[in-house]
Amino acid sequence: MKITINNYHAIALWRWNLKAGLQQHQPANAQPTAEGEEEEEEEDDDDDDDVCGICRVAYDGCCPDCKTPGDECPLIWGECTHVFHMHCIIKWLDTESSKQQCPMDRRPWVTAGAAAPPPDAPPAPRQAARVA
Amino acid sequence: MASRNKRLAREVADCQKDSSKSGITIRLVHPDSLDKFVGTFPGPQGTPYEGGTYEIEIEAPEGYPFQPLKMRFITKVYHPNVSSQSGFICLDILKTSWSPVFTLRTCLVSLQSLLSTPEPNDPQDAEVAKVYLTSRERFDETARYWAQVYAGAPSSTSPNGASESEGGEDKQGRRAAQLAGIDWGIADELGAPWVVRFAEMGFEPRKVVEVLQLLNYRADNRERVGHEAVLERLFS
Ligand SMILES: [Zn+2]
Ligand SMILES: [Zn+2]
Ligand SMILES: [Zn+2]
Repeated sequence: MKITINNYHAIALWRWNLKAGLQQHQPANAQPTAEGEEEEEEEDDDDDDDVCGICRVAYDGCCPDCKTPGDECPLIWGECTHVFHMHCIIKWLDTESSKQQCPMDRRPWVTAGAAAPPPDAPPAPRQAARVA
Repeated sequence: MASRNKRLAREVADCQKDSSKSGITIRLVHPDSLDKFVGTFPGPQGTPYEGGTYEIEIEAPEGYPFQPLKMRFITKVYHPNVSSQSGFICLDILKTSWSPVFTLRTCLVSLQSLLSTPEPNDPQDAEVAKVYLTSRERFDETARYWAQVYAGAPSSTSPNGASESEGGEDKQGRRAAQLAGIDWGIADELGAPWVVRFAEMGFEPRKVVEVLQLLNYRADNRERVGHEAVLERLFS
């Protein structure tokens, strides 16, 4: 059998590569599994891992002030390994009550890297499968 | 504003989803406004509040989640960190330690755990904290009684259930003193029925105790002091 392809329409899916971001930005002595807060209870809303704790929108979505996800609304890592939309954490750090602390663990916020790793880094297969 | 409302609407919906598991509920006060809510949670097990249901008035400020939620007990509760009169709460996360990752639900969970771990050294109700620190037994009994009267806890949770059978005037006086938020150890000592009698005239119960103590209005001394002297003090 012969198939002639006349034209095709490529569709791509992307996600922020959170794992790579973690490895890249994580200081050697950080504990990535340390759960800081008392409100973390046994039952986890299973999408809680994938949402920005400040706006509660998915990391792959954009913060409430942006229209397009992606480079326009990048993620940002703290040295404590917590991740937020960059715009969200900036809004928080701008308030007086933030005391320049990470909202998750109240340690002084130190940005670990300028932005997320490039989205073209190979995504983990499981993540790709989940999106598809 | 739009993002605040979107987040709040989602929080309410999420909470409804797992309310059967957590026992925590949140409802809107006005169906078309996301400014005020009423949350409820069950009193924690193994505490005097067990079996009760506690209603919390919640207000989301315009700057939520960057500004803290305002919360207040609607249900009267006897606890060092909650005003027994107004329901105002002394809890750091609702003030200086607020974080935008907190939600309606996690704050209700925090209040629930505040009930199991009082902080008497940073009290909202100094009177209650004093009782908590001087006699846990008296504190527990009053807290349990309040849970029964105000929060719908079954009276069978009281380990003193046996002695619950209608006692005389003393017992009733003690109950009334407890409801008035008076350290009933002191009320008992002064003669709870007398304390209650003055309180029922409309005087602030805690002031009644204060005056009776001051005048040493007790036992044989009552006649010598005379109740006119008490009234005079109470009116001053
Ligand atoms: Zn965000
Ligand atoms: Zn943004
Ligand atoms: Zn952190």
